[in-house]
Amino acid sequence: MRRFRILFPAAAALAVAGLALSGCAATEEADTSADSADSYNVYALLPQGTDQPYGTTYLPAMQARADELGIDLTITNSQYDADTQASDCEVAVAAQPDLIILWPAVGDTVRPCLAAAEAAGIPVTATNSDVNPEDKDLIQGYSGPDTYGQGVSSAEMMCDAADGAPTNIIVIDGATGNSTAINRHEGFADYIAENCTNITILAEQPGNWNKDDSQIAASEMLTSVGAENVQGIYAADDTMVAGAIDALKARDIDPSSMIITSIGNTFLGNPLVISGELYGTVFQSSSWDGTNAINVAYDVLTGVPVEANLFMPSVKVTIDNAESADVAPEW
Amino acid sequence: MTDTQPMRLGKETVGVVNKLKVGIARRTEGRGVALLVIVVVLVAILEPTTFTAYSVTLGRIALIGLVALGLTAVILMGELDLSVASTLAVSGVIMASMPNIWLGVVAALAAGIVIGMINAFFVFYVGINSFIATLGMLFALRGLAFVLSDAKPVRIADIDAGIAFGTPLLGPITPRVLIFILAFIALQVFLSKVRAGREFYAVGGNRQAAFDAGIPVRRRIFTGFMISGFVAALAGVINTLERTAADPTAGSSVLLASFAAAIIGGVVLNGGRGSVLGTLIGAFSLGILQVALTFSGVQVDIQDIFIGSILLIAVISDPTQLRSAVTGIRSWFQRREKSQAHT
Amino acid sequence: MTTQSIETIGEVGIKRNQFNLLVWISERGVFVFTALLVLFGVIFVNGFASLINITDVFYRAAPIGIVAVGMTFVVISANYLDLSVVAQVATAAVILIGVSNDYGLPLAFAVALFVAVLYGVVNGIAVGVFKANAVIVTLSTTFIGLGILRWLSGGSIFFGPEDGPIRAFGQAKIGAIPLSAIVLLIITMILWFVLTRTNFGFVVRSFGSNKEATRLSGVNTPLVVIGAFVITAISAMLAGFVLAAFSNTAVSTMSDGYDFRALAAIIIGGTSVFGGKGSVLRTLLGVIFVSVLTNILVLSGIGFGLQQMAIGALIVLAVSVDALARKVTKK
Repeated sequence: MRRFRILFPAAAALAVAGLALSGCAATEEADTSADSADSYNVYALLPQGTDQPYGTTYLPAMQARADELGIDLTITNSQYDADTQASDCEVAVAAQPDLIILWPAVGDTVRPCLAAAEAAGIPVTATNSDVNPEDKDLIQGYSGPDTYGQGVSSAEMMCDAADGAPTNIIVIDGATGNSTAINRHEGFADYIAENCTNITILAEQPGNWNKDDSQIAASEMLTSVGAENVQGIYAADDTMVAGAIDALKARDIDPSSMIITSIGNTFLGNPLVISGELYGTVFQSSSWDGTNAINVAYDVLTGVPVEANLFMPSVKVTIDNAESADVAPEW
Repeated sequence: MTDTQPMRLGKETVGVVNKLKVGIARRTEGRGVALLVIVVVLVAILEPTTFTAYSVTLGRIALIGLVALGLTAVILMGELDLSVASTLAVSGVIMASMPNIWLGVVAALAAGIVIGMINAFFVFYVGINSFIATLGMLFALRGLAFVLSDAKPVRIADIDAGIAFGTPLLGPITPRVLIFILAFIALQVFLSKVRAGREFYAVGGNRQAAFDAGIPVRRRIFTGFMISGFVAALAGVINTLERTAADPTAGSSVLLASFAAAIIGGVVLNGGRGSVLGTLIGAFSLGILQVALTFSGVQVDIQDIFIGSILLIAVISDPTQLRSAVTGIRSWFQRREKSQAHT
Repeated sequence: MTTQSIETIGEVGIKRNQFNLLVWISERGVFVFTALLVLFGVIFVNGFASLINITDVFYRAAPIGIVAVGMTFVVISANYLDLSVVAQVATAAVILIGVSNDYGLPLAFAVALFVAVLYGVVNGIAVGVFKANAVIVTLSTTFIGLGILRWLSGGSIFFGPEDGPIRAFGQAKIGAIPLSAIVLLIITMILWFVLTRTNFGFVVRSFGSNKEATRLSGVNTPLVVIGAFVITAISAMLAGFVLAAFSNTAVSTMSDGYDFRALAAIIIGGTSVFGGKGSVLRTLLGVIFVSVLTNILVLSGIGFGLQQMAIGALIVLAVSVDALARKVTKK
């Protein structure tokens, strides 16, 4: 019996020893780079990482730029949970880094984090998703796509293509409650309501950023309102729009006969634009995003004046420019 | 019998040392303490910032531990409450939707108690397994949170009050940590000193015997679920105040961490054994480990693998279950030997 | 049918003439309700009865259904559920597309099968030999599994070739019925046979009814549990293949929610979570019921939040009926 009382603590010791070894490696790296002349300690509080395709390509770009500039990065991933990110923020503030890069998981909940950083004298910059307007004075700068603006860009493309004719569309949103999904939706819907009243949204369902869920949701919506009544589709990202396009093909409807727009210009979306099945998408460069997060941070650290907003150009990608090297898809 | 001396079974335990040994052996927190010691030692050597910045670590422990405390009350009775994650979200949304903060707090806590009562109703009156009943509530309440909030975060009426709530009162003690300490004391006293609380163990250990012994099982089950619901709502209120907004998607990380804290601390899922102290120890281990991992910058994937492994090892190494598992294996081998010997 | 004889034992306690509504609902309910729901859809919901929509319902049902019929074994053995199907489905999908892109299909199948069996054995040993609670065990293996998957796959989306066999399988249909649904039916038949006609199936059911009695009768109960988890793992693997084929993509987040959705289908189908009672055919019916319901809700334009509430209410209702019926038969 006593033997087994040892089993658990021993096994746990092995597990924690493993942790220790990896932690050892991390601290060793930290020590060596701290020795070099001007290296900065920066904490990056992110809501995604290798658990999502965008984050998977954002991270290497960010890390590469940080290494070039001599910035020692500690990265956290709160997986879009506001409470976890708040806790990560507390850890970051306690670590007293030279700067904090914040990618808000939920924009409405980050003010306490910003206030705490300010009280501790740590400058904060924002990346990918901006903070709310009333909290802008607590950060030094923002770089990234304008997720609201992406929705607007996609709406502009649809409006141009509709050219004033009455157009009924169905909409596929991102995961319910997710801030990117909310912002893109609002950008799209607001633009349509103000500038393009000839476009009517007949039905709307979440596609959960998934291709399979989007295909089924699109097909069901088409059944619900009647496919013959629909002239356009908007999806909040390319993965979902690919699913919607598959739904059209399954019904023998030619996608190029409809006005279909989305956001991302990914490996899935760019070929669809080239083939004409997708009317337009908005280029979101994950590597630009990651690199410039560090650029803005470095400028703040070295005292270079920084603009309030460094927006990633929301380049519209249509068949005219889809094959250009400037908009080569990254993720 | 003329002898009035009580019948003695077994050797008498004499002396403080022996009494202490027996007392400790009977306690369930052994594994929790063992893990805590290992975690503390290793973290102290490799990532000491976790301790120098102890206010952060305390905050994380309070985050994980609060819901776990309420859950312990339910688990001790042999039931489960999966709905706590959604209760947290719904109560946060309710609180933020009220124009007045105090009204919001009251409404949110009341909602937690009502949810607890609904859970208890299904478990006791309808007779559904608590796992399923609270699973259904997990879905339904999450949907309710989305419907009430229109699937978007809801800001509280008074943002400055929220930020003030997050600032420390005395040293590292923020209101969150204070509430956690109070909740722990209240629950510890209730479960060990108050008769109604002690009866929770009986209800979990042997439900039928508890009935026969005249324990008002129905009332205890209702109380247990109401405690769990109330504490989850309390956590929702605290989170919403500190975040200054209610997020309807909140709470998903809480479920795993709370169960893990309770199990690591030695609370037995079948009920009847365990303690709030064990849950506290489990919350300490988990909180220190999580903060240390974050400080060391280890990738989230690797963090998940570690915490998953530790939970797995914790749950398979319950001493009583191990004993029966080993006996089972041993007797299986013996039977095979016997049957082979016969041939 | 052996399942029926177990049910008869319960009925003996009721007088021949006495008709108890609750018992009847709990035993025949799911058949009738599914039929009623389908009828409701055909009559009242526009477009429900169209061929395309029937295909969509099957697309919805297939991946979840394959997981659910496999997981029935775990539920019948009174082990609550297997939460790690989430990790298993995603892992199988990523292995299928990721490995076959570079190394061909046969190796992909082999690796996926190995991983599935590994999951089943680890879960089975923890629950069967160490007698740990299945909920917590499978929760921890989910974390470990998803962590390993993301770490090794780097979190990226994998795409299958547009003209490859995987895509062809995902698109293929016989009339209005997609191949994935045929796979679901075949697996259901096989598992029905195993559960009702083989010794192993009988032992799983008796173990669920009374663990102690089964053990005392000389059955090697840990092997029973391991077998149940292995069957679930292989079903989850096949579901992952089907899911990957449908969208021709694979990413670690694509199986979100599969654990509870599968359990909901099993419960609504009438399999008791207490164990011992239930069948694979009932699970199939439960899957169809939930898929049809969600389909009808989307066709009617009902939002995500309300959909979740409806499913939650249904689970509680289904289990209430089962629990009350048990009480009646005990008297």
